[in-house]
Amino acid sequence: MWESLEHVGWVTVLANTGWMYVTVSVVHYFTLLFFIGTIVLVDLRILGIADRNQTISLLADQLLPWTWIGFALAMISGFLLFTTDAGDYAPDHVFQAKMLVILLAVVFTVVVQRGLRKWNQLPAVPASAKVIAAVSLMLWLGAILAGVDIAALSGLG
Amino acid sequence: MYDLLHALAKWLEGTSWATVIRTTGIYPYIQLIHFSGLTVWLGTNTIVDLRILGLGQKRQTAAQLAEALLTWNWIAFSIVVLGGFLLFSGIGATYLVNAAFRVKLGIFVPLALIWHVVVQRKVRTWGRESETPGIAKLGALVEILLWLCVVTAAVEIPNY
Repeated sequence: MWESLEHVGWVTVLANTGWMYVTVSVVHYFTLLFFIGTIVLVDLRILGIADRNQTISLLADQLLPWTWIGFALAMISGFLLFTTDAGDYAPDHVFQAKMLVILLAVVFTVVVQRGLRKWNQLPAVPASAKVIAAVSLMLWLGAILAGVDIAALSGLG
Repeated sequence: MYDLLHALAKWLEGTSWATVIRTTGIYPYIQLIHFSGLTVWLGTNTIVDLRILGLGQKRQTAAQLAEALLTWNWIAFSIVVLGGFLLFSGIGATYLVNAAFRVKLGIFVPLALIWHVVVQRKVRTWGRESETPGIAKLGALVEILLWLCVVTAAVEIPNY
């Protein structure tokens, strides 16, 4: 089923046109590094490690809208890269683990985003909020590790 | 110059830590160090550039935002350099003859880095008001393009 995706007209063009594949790769790497960076900063702020001289809300307002724009671009470019070798990626366990970790990371990031305005008004950031931020942080770094491992363990990409 | 770098790379490859990086399964974790630093480094750089360009939320001026992110901007850079150095030490001599690596480290990284420092210094005056001058916007746009060039060169390394 996934294999057939590789034979769609525009997918074969993407897979066989060097500059197109490179461009999509660059968009994927740049946007994923960028959007994860914005989440890491917000998580570190909630943990009380980074940027303590401004409120959580102020930092989050500047960063999180960009997080989701970056995330959308990383998803679209990631899907395009996936299509060129879908038959090999789809059954790969490291790739599947990466997708699962990303899904969990998104859930935790949404929880952080929904909770931060409330945490910001409290005299101290609650311990539960710090745990959520720490898990979000580790899941995103885990997603990067899984991405790196696809090449290292499965030889794909 | 090349002979000197080659000798350095060969010496690095012989060190005990480089041997560990090359021969054990630790390599993906070293890549993780490099990439983790890059998330915050490119994140903070780009967020400030986008604010200078007048895009996104404007609750803070570009100068305030740059000031707030300054410390972690350079902490992240140190992590990037540490991870990059460890990655290089494992198989440095192979990287040195790679054309894409040479373009990345020899041209685009120094250019982008110098440009970044200039923008970071200038933003204190450029970004004082909510609306930034045209020259600031040009500076910010060029910085984003230079880091895109760095990433492009990095992506091309396995192809050479």
